[in-house]
Amino acid sequence: MSSGPVGLLAATGGETGKELVALGAALLIAGLLARAGRRVGLPTIPLFMAAGVLTGPFTPGPVLIKEPADLGLLTTLGLILLLFHLGLEFSLDDLLAGGRRLLLAGAAYLIINLSAGVAIGTGLGWGGRETLVIAGIVGISSSAIVTKLLVELRRLANPETGLLLGIVVVEDVFLAIYLALLQPVLGEAEGVGEAVTSVARGMVFLVLMVALARWGRGPVGRLLGTGDDELLTVCFVGVAILIAGVAANVGVSDAIGAFLAGQVVAGTSVAHRVQRLVLPLRDLFAAMFFFAFGLSVDPGALTSVAGPVVAAVTVTALGCIVAGVIAARIQGLGADAAANIGLTVVARGEFSLILASLAVAAGLDGRLGPFTAGYVLVLAIAGPLAASRSHLLASRLPSRLLPTPALPGKEGL
Amino acid sequence: MSDQIREQELPGIGRRYTAQADGGEVSVVIHHTGRRDIYLSDPAGRRPPAVATLSDGQARRLGAVLAGAYFQPTLTSHIEAVVGGLLIDWVPLGPDSPGAGRSIADLQVRRQTRMTIVAILRGDDAIVVPEPTEVLAVGDRVVIVGRPEDLDGFVRHVAG
Repeated sequence: MSSGPVGLLAATGGETGKELVALGAALLIAGLLARAGRRVGLPTIPLFMAAGVLTGPFTPGPVLIKEPADLGLLTTLGLILLLFHLGLEFSLDDLLAGGRRLLLAGAAYLIINLSAGVAIGTGLGWGGRETLVIAGIVGISSSAIVTKLLVELRRLANPETGLLLGIVVVEDVFLAIYLALLQPVLGEAEGVGEAVTSVARGMVFLVLMVALARWGRGPVGRLLGTGDDELLTVCFVGVAILIAGVAANVGVSDAIGAFLAGQVVAGTSVAHRVQRLVLPLRDLFAAMFFFAFGLSVDPGALTSVAGPVVAAVTVTALGCIVAGVIAARIQGLGADAAANIGLTVVARGEFSLILASLAVAAGLDGRLGPFTAGYVLVLAIAGPLAASRSHLLASRLPSRLLPTPALPGKEGL
Repeated sequence: MSDQIREQELPGIGRRYTAQADGGEVSVVIHHTGRRDIYLSDPAGRRPPAVATLSDGQARRLGAVLAGAYFQPTLTSHIEAVVGGLLIDWVPLGPDSPGAGRSIADLQVRRQTRMTIVAILRGDDAIVVPEPTEVLAVGDRVVIVGRPEDLDGFVRHVAG
């Protein structure tokens, strides 16, 4: 970490110049690659990661940045802003407004896909803690890719879209709880006593933050509340990083701290402006996070985990299609809706990568890195391509599984 | 066709408003970013919907056009706003309008039509509570108040 961004600023003369050229070139390559992918309908996450792999130390050609640690705080900021934004957008009301059907569909999705993850983790036999992380990596969709996909495929008016986004919200709720519970597992707790203390400390922090989100919106709103976008940006980024840092210090992960910071800001009067202002920041630093993840990936190691990746991709695809059929049935929708749901939620991205990076940082089995990289590369690219051709699957779904499609305009959610 | 507009939250994207119209279902998606998408679905459900994307500014202007703020066709059955049985509406005067070039007193608006002219919008000016001597002109938009059932008579008498 010696030459993180702080080092970048402090370095003298030639060193700073070299590092800036490397960082600038890396971002530009990532951006151009993602732009090329955009033309054929690919999401940005796998391409930012691919740019990292290609310019990283493990592939031939120029090495711009030797290791992810050289990007240090920049990538941590990416992780914090991704989860801050999630916390900001997330609302329990959305979940409750969807009613019982949405909860049922979401629960079915989670049970199927988390079980699939546990099965894969157990099958791989990398260890208990690794299995727990793999369950999350395999179980949780990329809300960034799903959301973008629905907009780009022009499916926002479809009858299943509300339900589909609801399932993603259920996944986000699960992610928040899961991250909170994962930390003591990842942490280096020695013995039961320490683990219990760690969980307790985490829970106290969670309760405090939830209370702040619930009753502290007035003071926090006044603290941040300024009519000026510049000052608001500086202040809310400060709050996000501060809460994430405090969380990391009390043994809860910075990820969950950032999520809770987003929840706190979401209740205030400035929430809508922050939602708008955070986007460019999140996009930039998240790109660095994905790029840095790619840097750490050795394509050679990728081939060694090819088997597990293929198994995980297959199980995930099947699990999502089954979950899509169940969701469509619950909502009384037909085969088109089932295929759209299944092939859209199959996309994996930021959350799988965040979980893998937390796990690798905590010293779990190093194979989790290349495994997740390969898994996300495949599903983040194949998922959207499959979603845009979902009618091919819809016509193959057995008709006895699904009722006749609802009449156009009739929808329950 | 129902006048109901259904509203639904699209978490992470924005809000969706759906109305049934002749020729399909119209959905308006308002993104958190201010972007607006208009979806027009194929009634048979065979083809993908037609989609138009508007910026915040474009959407506001188009909304004003839809609401009749720029141009109001003189349909006999249109109703702008009814508050507790009272109609508030405006009617534009064209070259062929019988009211153009005549004063309110001359037209005997209140006695003949049982409606009251509360304002005249002329170019950028608004003449609020005009005197009976005020002469109506081509291009005026006449704001009236009265009972909904008297609107047709007013339109015939003044706007043509």
